[in-house]
Amino acid sequence: MKINTHHFGEIEFTEENVLKFENGLLGFEALKQYLLLKTDNELFYWLNSIDEPDISLPVIGVRLIDENYPEEQENEAFGIVNLNKDPLKITVNMKAPVYINQDKKTGFQKILDNDRFFIDYKLFVE
Amino acid sequence: MLILTRKVNEEIKIGSDISFKIISISENQVKIGVSAPMGVQILRAELYEKVKETTVDAIQSSKEVVELPKLKVNKVRK
Repeated sequence: MKINTHHFGEIEFTEENVLKFENGLLGFEALKQYLLLKTDNELFYWLNSIDEPDISLPVIGVRLIDENYPEEQENEAFGIVNLNKDPLKITVNMKAPVYINQDKKTGFQKILDNDRFFIDYKLFVE
Repeated sequence: MLILTRKVNEEIKIGSDISFKIISISENQVKIGVSAPMGVQILRAELYEKVKETTVDAIQSSKEVVELPKLKVNKVRK
């Protein structure tokens, strides 16, 4: 199978690479299949929709930011990154993490409804 | 939309396993208890909308070309 992506051009993948989000992402419930793509930039992954290949979200492993971030069994937590030309304005959504199980190829998004986690957490400091 | 009138301590059921109970009422606030099975996420609607908006923004800004200079990751302190 093939999709055309903004960042990586045409990508070929097999069924085994597909991450299945049973409930989609919050607000994007209809999009249930994604690829998790790694770049040469070591910080971000890209969560690329297969159903709508134009939808591609940079994500970062939240453990890099917070060692005590809530875990979900067998899942790795990622935060959706809001990019900006000014890197100091790049933010991470720590409030609604995307949990991915890379062995079972499943994922889901969840809201941590408390004051500890920010929806626009600044990724970098000078 | 179905509109029901309830008093304090009265409940509304949706299906067999989700229920809402009116806990208290004041002038402009209602306290509601929600019971639902594990795995059903219960959210204030505005928070859901905010998360959705943030994701829409992230999709839009995902095409920005960003140079990442040597900046430190802003770690959460223990």
